[in-house]
Amino acid sequence: MDGKVIVVTSGKGGVGKTTISASLGAALAMQGKRVAVVDMDIGLRNLDVVMGLENRIVFNIVDIIKGRCKIKQAAIKDRRIDNLFLIPASQSDDKDAIKPENMIWLTNRLRKEFDVTLLDCPAGIEQGFKNSIAAADEAVVVCTPEVSAVRDADRIIGLLYAQSITPKLIVNRIVPEMVKSGNMLSHEDVVEVLSIDLIGLIEMDDRVVVSTNTGTPLVLQEESKAGMALKRIALRLDGHPDLPIENPMDKKSFWKKLGSKFNRKN
Amino acid sequence: MNFNTLLKKLMNKSDSKDIAKKRLKFALLTDKLEIKTDTLGNLQKDLVEVISRYFEIDNESIKIDIQRSEECSALIFNTPIISAHRQMGIPAA
Ligand SMILES: Nc1ncnc2c1ncn2[C@@H]1O[C@H](COP(=O)(O)OP(=O)(O)OP(=O)(O)O)[C@@H](O)[C@H]1O
Ligand SMILES: [Mg+2]
Repeated sequence: MDGKVIVVTSGKGGVGKTTISASLGAALAMQGKRVAVVDMDIGLRNLDVVMGLENRIVFNIVDIIKGRCKIKQAAIKDRRIDNLFLIPASQSDDKDAIKPENMIWLTNRLRKEFDVTLLDCPAGIEQGFKNSIAAADEAVVVCTPEVSAVRDADRIIGLLYAQSITPKLIVNRIVPEMVKSGNMLSHEDVVEVLSIDLIGLIEMDDRVVVSTNTGTPLVLQEESKAGMALKRIALRLDGHPDLPIENPMDKKSFWKKLGSKFNRKN
Repeated sequence: MNFNTLLKKLMNKSDSKDIAKKRLKFALLTDKLEIKTDTLGNLQKDLVEVISRYFEIDNESIKIDIQRSEECSALIFNTPIISAHRQMGIPAA
């Protein structure tokens, strides 16, 4: 059976697409899938460093498209996690070195080799975005609880619908304390405004920075809340769509309650 | 309702996230009402074609525009009629 192609996109930059692509790739591979994560940001690659594979790049996606190498030669195998592969972007080529028809050709081949292909989409709605959505079967839209990010997400959702893709939403960088004090949109607010289905909620987590510093997969860090949330999103993407979505707000109040109980006893 | 929200309500202060949500809803609404530059031109061509079946109109003096206000948007189409065509199917007297 052919594998599926999922695009991770957002419109606005810096909301966590690359972090999420790398982590979902790792989590899906740990769940036993054969996974390729593809950096679609031609000219500005990032996914390689986030995945800690930057010093193993020989060929890139443009080399594959131009016929300068085989897919197998460009796909870098992760040595820590079985069945996880990265196809890096080219750093020197122009944004429009790849066209949507090239991506359709490439993903049709990747579908034969991999159970899941994740496309880490660049910000914006230009060439890289068009290339990514032309080839995708499914989409994960990432936004943060901020006006500008949600507005851009809305635009992206409209463009995805126009391609007959019904996206799922991840709200990233939630700060429960700020939501509680009324100074950050809650995920309910965001879902209400965008009216699409949620697939996961990720808290602001210092471990994300630590993990990118060292290039080690976030999902391997058991103490990382973001990592755990991403593992569960990977399960939802792959055969467990009804796994309940944990609410960062609940967790906080649970620990608070527990904490206050202890305080009373002492 | 916890003490903080109660206090805020009493002081008639709204949370910044409520302001964010209101602004967001408004922005999304107006975003969707925005139209591509060539949309109005295409619409005008189609309208002229349909109206010309019934009326003789002056293509030059047609005005088509979208007027926006805070409450709603309206499509304004304005054309002088030169004359009405005879109804099709009704034989001339
Ligand atoms: N849940 C989180 N907690 C803390 N930091 C985060 C979280 N998610 C992302 N970040 C940080 O936010 C920054 C942007 O993340 P990332 O590069 O993944 O975004 P992006 O959407 O891929 O950006 P771009 O649009 O530039 O490709 C990074 O520094 C990353 O470490
Ligand atoms: Mg990125």
